[in-house]
Amino acid sequence: MAHFYPLSVTEVRHDTRDSVVVTFEPRPEDRERFGYVQGQYLTFRRAFDGEELRRSYSICAGRAENRLRVGIRKVEGGCFSGWANEELKVGDVLEAMPPTGNFHTPIEADRARRYLGFAGGSGITPLLGIVRTVLAEEPRSSFTLVYGNRSINTIMFREELEDLKNQHLGRLSILHVLESEDPDGGLFSGRLDRDKCRALFGRWIDVAHADLAFICGPEPMMLAVAETLKEHGLDDRQIKFELFASGQPGRARRAAAAAKPAATDQTCTATIVLDGTAVTLTMPKGGQTVLEAAKAANIDAPYACTAGVCSTCRAMVVEGEVEMEANYALEDYEVRRGYVLTCQSRPVSDKVVIDYDR
Amino acid sequence: MSDDLDLTEYLSHGGKLSSPDNAPPRYRGELMRLMATFVDSELAGAAGFADVINAGPGIKERIAASRIVFEKLVNADRVLKIMGDFGADTGRYVNHHPWAARLPRDADIGASRHGGDMRLSVFHYPIDGWTDAVVMNVLMGRATAIQLDEFAHGSYQPLAEAFRAILPTEVRHAELGLEGLRMLVLTAEDRAAARASAAYWRPRVAASFGSAGSARYDTLRRFGLRRTPNDVLAERWRGEIAELLDELGIAPETGTEEGSRA
Repeated sequence: MAHFYPLSVTEVRHDTRDSVVVTFEPRPEDRERFGYVQGQYLTFRRAFDGEELRRSYSICAGRAENRLRVGIRKVEGGCFSGWANEELKVGDVLEAMPPTGNFHTPIEADRARRYLGFAGGSGITPLLGIVRTVLAEEPRSSFTLVYGNRSINTIMFREELEDLKNQHLGRLSILHVLESEDPDGGLFSGRLDRDKCRALFGRWIDVAHADLAFICGPEPMMLAVAETLKEHGLDDRQIKFELFASGQPGRARRAAAAAKPAATDQTCTATIVLDGTAVTLTMPKGGQTVLEAAKAANIDAPYACTAGVCSTCRAMVVEGEVEMEANYALEDYEVRRGYVLTCQSRPVSDKVVIDYDR
Repeated sequence: MSDDLDLTEYLSHGGKLSSPDNAPPRYRGELMRLMATFVDSELAGAAGFADVINAGPGIKERIAASRIVFEKLVNADRVLKIMGDFGADTGRYVNHHPWAARLPRDADIGASRHGGDMRLSVFHYPIDGWTDAVVMNVLMGRATAIQLDEFAHGSYQPLAEAFRAILPTEVRHAELGLEGLRMLVLTAEDRAAARASAAYWRPRVAASFGSAGSARYDTLRRFGLRRTPNDVLAERWRGEIAELLDELGIAPETGTEEGSRA
């Protein structure tokens, strides 16, 4: 089970008009717990209007710096990112889970490797941590960073990247690709799509001799870059992806509506939604589990352990009430949002709607 | 929901995910199921094989069998950790089912799941002595190698990486089995026993590839978790095994193989 620990804000720096760089400090006793590997992220939680929101932000510092620093770009309608940009200040305390994430490869100090990095917008944050770590800990390696943004004003860490480049001349090169600057500006204007990548890879970037590529940004950009990298000879093992932000809804979701008190009827009308299809069936209360009823109706619901341990069968109760016998896998906040383990859940109300798609 | 749809498109076009936070609910369910199938099969396989270690004719064979058991547990642990990232209680998981439990030798469950775990159906059948264990290990070992190679291209990057690391150990298990099997087909009598075991296990291992045109395959493909249809993988395996059994002189005599599951 995940645990949260308090982190205090030690620095808030406004980086661009819509982004902020925040540095945190753990309590002395938690310091070891908050050690990280480059490219990992922190997950924060905070209640907004009584609803707990969790948001993950990549650490943008190098491994040896041992500084919990994240970049937060304001998302349209985003509760957490808006609050962080406008209200968060030094001395505030936020709760966070220890760093986690897999967007990294082991550093090998004696190797001379060629790295490629592709960042779109706030996708720069984990890449900055990776770039810093490689430059500091793999002294014979070099890094080429391609960084796509809407315009020059939205480039996060612009000065910091510039400084890094000057500090490591010949080892770090940065290519900015800007959408809105000078539409006919040639190679370095436009979006990071397939055509742009092909053009860059032909002339500016030697993909065939690259060892590893890291991509973080919006989905279409990541697909375009990965596909073109493969055209130029890289394989799956050499390409690391990190998808961020888009998987996270901007606003707090509403918890399942409160259930009406159970009636005396002994059967329940259950509607089960899977892959966009709703099937309604009648099942006895307190008898079959929701999962058993779904299986009996030939609904191919996901499950594995049927013991409340693995959470494969997780679904959301959209309407009505169920009773969950055992739960070793869902956390309190998931249960509050309406998630249940269907292998352990029996209907209590006359009607339930269970959604596996949410 | 639109987030999910966009993400499905991303995944079906070769996009990768690297953390549970980005996994849409249905993707999460299928990914967990896939991981549970692997973990349960490794746990059940190790438990079944552990029982035959002492049946090994010499110390070398027993070492090989113990190593296979040991590494299958290590491999299970590796993938179970990833399930843990998604919230599974890994401590309880290992003890939620009697992994050594088997059905009667003549039970017929096809490719269906049985009991409360997700092990592949082949791991519900009991092993009958040393030769039988070695034959099963060779046939299933080759199947596992083909299946893992498929999963190693999956869209959940931490799992794909785990499978890439696991693949060589499973390939080695099949090789160890083959080394053992070569010693067990030296006489006509021994060959008859090995042939009988091969005839028993072949349709049961074949069933572990799943059926042609399976709806789940389509779902997994949409999520970027699969890319080669079940029947293509099964056919690849059949070709390899036919050649191998032929070379060892234990190919089934025409019409002797039971069942038509394959």
